[in-house]
Amino acid sequence: MATRVWPGSETAAAAERLVPGSVAKSTPVACYLKPEKLVETMAALRTDPESDFVHLTDLCGVDFWDHFEVVYHLQSFEKNQFATVKVEAWDRENASVPSVVPVWHGAWMQENEAYDLLGIRFEGHPNLYRILLWEGYPGWPLRKDFLSMPGGLQPGLNEFAGTARRAEPPVRAVE
Amino acid sequence: MTSTIKTEPFVINIGPQHPSTHGVFRIKATVDGERVIDAEMVMGYLHRSMEKLAEERTYTQNIPFTDRTDYLSSMSNNLGYCLAVEKLAGIGVPDRGNAIRVIMAEFQRLASHCMAVGAFTNDTGAWQTPVMWAFREREKILDLFEMTCGARLTCNYMRIGGVAFDLPKEFMPGARKLVQSLPGFIDEMEGLLVENEIFLVRTRKVGVLSPEMAINASLSGPVLRGCGVAWDIRKADPYCGYEQYDFDIPIGYQGDSFDRFIVRLEEMRQSVRIIEQALDALPGGPHSTQVPLALRPPRGEAYGRVEGPRGELGYYIVSDEGPSPYRFHIRPPSFINLSALKEMTVGGSVADAVVVLGSIDIVVGEIDR
Repeated sequence: MATRVWPGSETAAAAERLVPGSVAKSTPVACYLKPEKLVETMAALRTDPESDFVHLTDLCGVDFWDHFEVVYHLQSFEKNQFATVKVEAWDRENASVPSVVPVWHGAWMQENEAYDLLGIRFEGHPNLYRILLWEGYPGWPLRKDFLSMPGGLQPGLNEFAGTARRAEPPVRAVE
Repeated sequence: MTSTIKTEPFVINIGPQHPSTHGVFRIKATVDGERVIDAEMVMGYLHRSMEKLAEERTYTQNIPFTDRTDYLSSMSNNLGYCLAVEKLAGIGVPDRGNAIRVIMAEFQRLASHCMAVGAFTNDTGAWQTPVMWAFREREKILDLFEMTCGARLTCNYMRIGGVAFDLPKEFMPGARKLVQSLPGFIDEMEGLLVENEIFLVRTRKVGVLSPEMAINASLSGPVLRGCGVAWDIRKADPYCGYEQYDFDIPIGYQGDSFDRFIVRLEEMRQSVRIIEQALDALPGGPHSTQVPLALRPPRGEAYGRVEGPRGELGYYIVSDEGPSPYRFHIRPPSFINLSALKEMTVGGSVADAVVVLGSIDIVVGEIDR
């Protein structure tokens, strides 16, 4: 028996039923929650017998140039189901989303990692620090404007013969 | 006349360079006398920025990186990554490819658990003898890997759409011989340790974790199953045709270090069972589908996961139709299993902290990536 993966609309319906007005939008894959209602909705999704998402399987951030997405993969052992929940952070300079550590203790390390590598602040996290890099490290490595090679992305890795170059905003090196 | 010794809390470092930390990992333990009252983890000494590097390389070029995260279970890591990309790009795998993947992943689990069990006994004070016994068996498995793909540790054997090479003709007799001898070794190891008074005293009721705490702390793998939660992705969400094989999920009852150890030993028996069935029913046909080297999966995202030796190993990949992943995220089981380290160590002695860390079976390459 395979795990039942909830489409975004089903997660959105459950979230809307539990906490009205919590859903921002839903895509086929994921349900986007409003940041101000995130913790409340997550707590409800965890305890509700129908959703029963007791296990925060994975938490990570993704940089989309103009905004960040924090992706939560939730699963239920009893019901054997899986859902993807996302939340967006639009302020690039002071990106922040509420912390879900009060709901799942397992978010503690994963939020620290997302903060360390992407610079997303998790408001309400009990001890947010740079878990892999050291304090004072310049920049946030997993952001798209941080380059691991000083010269920037060069042709070769990003291009194949006969294929169009990806349209991307101009890249700049971090100081 | 009685007198009490007044102690003051002070901080001691376990690691970074310490044999019990299995790599470069540090616990800042605050101790009051012999009791640990606070434990803080310091990691990142081995950070190689794998997720960033992967964004600049093609999907196929990323496979060797996955070897080097958890360097004790490279086959499982390859498999998890390939499953995620296959899910994203909608690529199927032939039956023979799936069966070979299962055989290799289970051999890798055996090799990794040999290391885990051996190193754990080392931490409990059974200095060097059991670890050498376990290594003897692990060497035989690595010999099979070398025979198949030329490498012992960083195998780089799985490919998107199948496996890199078909099995050599020497593999089947070698694998059958090994599979016949392994249960004897597991019984021997169990008989040697499970009734050993010192081993029991060192591991029983050490690092006890309740199932509720284990689930809430996002644990997975033998650490979760040791707490009595029967959750195994091979059963719950079968991949590579695991549903065809007959095996059980061993669970513990106490949630202590001993249960995590015994769950690993029992899992080795189950792995042997799976390999026997897979070798018997190995289908013919091609071992891989043809996949373009410059793979460009459609825009979207996929979360592929396998039950690695240490727990749920997930790969979250976002594609923007480019030749390389837009975002490549690893869900490292060792890293997340450390979420409950503080709960397990606080209240015990410093020597128990070493045992707890050994029972979680961390690989620092995977924690830091």
